[in-house]
Amino acid sequence: MTWETSDSEGAKPTETARGDRPGDAAGGGDLILRGEDVTKEYQTGTQTVRALKGIDFGIAPSDFVAIVGPSGSGKSTLLNLLGLLDVPTDGAVSLRGQDVSTFSDADRTRKRKRAIGFVFQSFYLIPTLTALENVEMPRMLDKTPVKTRERAKTLLRRVGLGDRLDHYPDELSGGQKQRVAIARSLINDPALLLADEPTGNLDRDTGDEILALFDELRAEEDVAIVTVTHDAYVAEEADRVVNLVDGVIEDAGETAADGGHGA
Amino acid sequence: MSWLRRVTARFPTVVLARRNLSRASARTTLAVVAIVIGVVAIGTIGAGGEAFKQDQMEAYEGFGGTATVSPVYYQNDDGDIVGGISDKDVSRMRQVTSGATVHPVIQRWDTVVRTSSGETSPSAQVKGLAALGTFYEAQSGSIPDSWRQQVVVGSRFADNNDVETGDQLTVTINGSFERTFRVAAVLEPQGFADQLQADRSVFLPFDRLSQLEDSESEYGSVIVRVDPQTASIDEAAESLETEFNTRRRTIAVSEVQEQRERFGQTFEMINQFLIGVGSISLLVAAVTIANTMLMTAIEREREIGVMRAVGYPKRAVVSLLLAEATILGLVGAAIGVPLALGIGMGLNQFLVGDPLAFTAAGLRYVGLGALFGVLTSLFAGVYPAWKSANKRPVEALE
Repeated sequence: MTWETSDSEGAKPTETARGDRPGDAAGGGDLILRGEDVTKEYQTGTQTVRALKGIDFGIAPSDFVAIVGPSGSGKSTLLNLLGLLDVPTDGAVSLRGQDVSTFSDADRTRKRKRAIGFVFQSFYLIPTLTALENVEMPRMLDKTPVKTRERAKTLLRRVGLGDRLDHYPDELSGGQKQRVAIARSLINDPALLLADEPTGNLDRDTGDEILALFDELRAEEDVAIVTVTHDAYVAEEADRVVNLVDGVIEDAGETAADGGHGA
Repeated sequence: MSWLRRVTARFPTVVLARRNLSRASARTTLAVVAIVIGVVAIGTIGAGGEAFKQDQMEAYEGFGGTATVSPVYYQNDDGDIVGGISDKDVSRMRQVTSGATVHPVIQRWDTVVRTSSGETSPSAQVKGLAALGTFYEAQSGSIPDSWRQQVVVGSRFADNNDVETGDQLTVTINGSFERTFRVAAVLEPQGFADQLQADRSVFLPFDRLSQLEDSESEYGSVIVRVDPQTASIDEAAESLETEFNTRRRTIAVSEVQEQRERFGQTFEMINQFLIGVGSISLLVAAVTIANTMLMTAIEREREIGVMRAVGYPKRAVVSLLLAEATILGLVGAAIGVPLALGIGMGLNQFLVGDPLAFTAAGLRYVGLGALFGVLTSLFAGVYPAWKSANKRPVEALE
């Protein structure tokens, strides 16, 4: 697992960065996601904002990475790139060795569905669906309703909501909603769970429950978790904390006692 | 798992769409109402117009395979008006149109009709036509086959003068002839398209009128009829034209079928224009639906962003929003069609006298209204759906 700022900040031409990588696909074979010299620029009006200035990263199964940093430091941008919701302006992000920039929008959608789960600060549950249906939602179009329902029930029991299957979101507490959201993120057995401030709207005890759940998922299903957080105690739980400042990684250190899963 | 869920799980988009619509029920209701108004407008105008047309067309019913012949008048060199159809002309007509029946119609203008209560009716048209029963039907009483002491009256004459079957009518002609008749029958209403304006007429026995001493054997018009199974009215009309109009145009021949078609076409045009006006209400409905869907799309931007994030392709988002718009249209049509049919039944009762007297064309307009309602909704949903689906999930989630 590496989180480094590239030496040559964005100066490297894109083509070189993407060009000669045949060996890397094999070398990074057990990496879920890998980024090299990733740069992301936005156009706001006439100004070009460089949100990420050439960073490298790699995420292996059952990693727990916390991304911290002041607002505007590029955290959300990074999370979007990790979630295949966006593509880098320069540099390369590859999913299991495949460069995501070669994917069409439809391809990215498909890969995202298979490989990545999302958890948001505001949960974003659909208010007209029950807890169970919310969990099923990502697979509702798959024409496998029986299997999906079984899996959704299992997941809800797993997150401790076996008795809340038919409750609507407005009948659930914040912590319960977030657990539904986590169950939803797991319905497709993702390799990577991206959590944007997962405890931001929860009290400390509830937040702890969510973190415990993350630990279980990593231990039992090898799910890698990347979270953006402001909460120091969440960062403390992570194997690795990435401190993003102004689009570059300031220092990347191992915090947790159990050490890093080197990449 | 219940069978219901098995079925609905096959159409997850529809399930999601229906749930979403139930969320903003006031807005949904208003959008549906807009569609209902459009569907009802088109359906009712269409079906009602058809009922009215049918009502007027009834006048042609007894006139299949007929043509009317009317005289053409001229001013001669002496300044006198000449022309008209005489007994001799009628005989010639019978000769040239072999196989056709020729019914001369006598019309007298110098008449006074008095009811038993003493009221006189100046607007009554006194006519004589043999075989009256083959052209019209009676709404009360019965039209006699051969008659000397009775009269048959039109519906409007009967209404205006409070005349019923069995009443007495006294008819004076030219101040000399005066006789009292019993009303044998009142004819069914015929409408304004009727050949002989039977509604306002009093039909006297043909022989009575033709035998009047002052009668110059001049006929107001002649009805020529063929059996459409065995002969052609076109041929008969042509023979008449050749016989009478070669040197100079002395008669005008008009086939009732043609008149009927012309009348029908005119009516169709008016009806379609009215439906066009009615369709404007669907246009307004389209705007309402588009607005509803845009608001929905904006409100649910994040939610749709999440759906895109968890792997819903653009196509799925488009389908979902289009399904919502279409459901609005379907519900609107489902409410609008029975309403349009109900109003149509009222119009049928009023105009034709039978609430179920829908014509195929009338029902087609109701169907058309429903179809347009659904299509309008679907179409109005396209832009909001497209806009929503093409929003990048990142933007939607920020």
